[in-house]
Amino acid sequence: MHKVSAPLSIELSIPSEFGYERVVREAVASFARRIGFASERVEDLKTAVSEACLNAIEHGNAQMPEMRVDVNCVWENDVLMVRVLDHGLKRYTGHVAPCITSRVHGEAPPRGMGLYLIAQLVDTCGFESSPEGGNVLYMSMHPRRMA
Amino acid sequence: MVAGARRGWVKIMANVSPGADPVERVVELHLPSRLGYEKVAMDAAASVARRMGFSADRVEALRTALAEAVTNAIEHGNAHNADTRVLVILTVRPSELVVSVADQGFKPIDKAKIAPTPNIEDSFSRADKGGWGIWLIRELMDEVEFTTAPTGGNQVRMVIHLEKQP
Repeated sequence: MHKVSAPLSIELSIPSEFGYERVVREAVASFARRIGFASERVEDLKTAVSEACLNAIEHGNAQMPEMRVDVNCVWENDVLMVRVLDHGLKRYTGHVAPCITSRVHGEAPPRGMGLYLIAQLVDTCGFESSPEGGNVLYMSMHPRRMA
Repeated sequence: MVAGARRGWVKIMANVSPGADPVERVVELHLPSRLGYEKVAMDAAASVARRMGFSADRVEALRTALAEAVTNAIEHGNAHNADTRVLVILTVRPSELVVSVADQGFKPIDKAKIAPTPNIEDSFSRADKGGWGIWLIRELMDEVEFTTAPTGGNQVRMVIHLEKQP
């Protein structure tokens, strides 16, 4: 008889300070490799998770190091779901227009491409409402790129 | 799944004391009790240790000690029970990294096993030649302490000192 296994998950909590996004990146990458993600997918996931954590540190927690960024990864039904939660001091649920041309020409700041980049790297992403009032960015990914 | 995820977050937030020393930085990691997932803790801890400026060989020592501590928690403390979790707390201080590993204490730690050196004759008589994990942790880390976690499980607290190069 086939036994349905419980979803595998990890939860992480880091101080809201630049640099700690690397700890999340390494932990999530390690979890994804363990599950069997292809290496190029692991690299995409690392970039997306780093961007999400940087957004949470910089915007959602307004660079206050005593705040926390919480990350939850769940592997279930062949999908890895990563959620990044901050305290929501600043909301950033609106979408960012990827006006690359004006950025290249120096007419717009070079940063602010994080959400656009994340959307290119993962299968689905978006914001969920949080009962605690923070920003919750979710990103889902299959172990292999869809054909 | 969503509800479970949120419960996890609430639990994480609750574990961080608000009055913590401002020079301390705390990273918390909850892992499934399944062999192989100790790698997640090893990679996270190595990332923290590198960031603090530990040398490559000290980072490797930490990885090995943590692998032993987490596999002990999975195999013994949580008795391979898939519903249990292992909690790893990394506390970054200016001159040291404190790593604590807690299980849910399905099986209390055998006091005889935390003695300084195991007997090699006893180890050879075991099928797995095991029993050296705690000895190894003591060899690799600067301070090691076995206590009971606030949740009632077994907890091993390991400290590695940051020695600045002259």
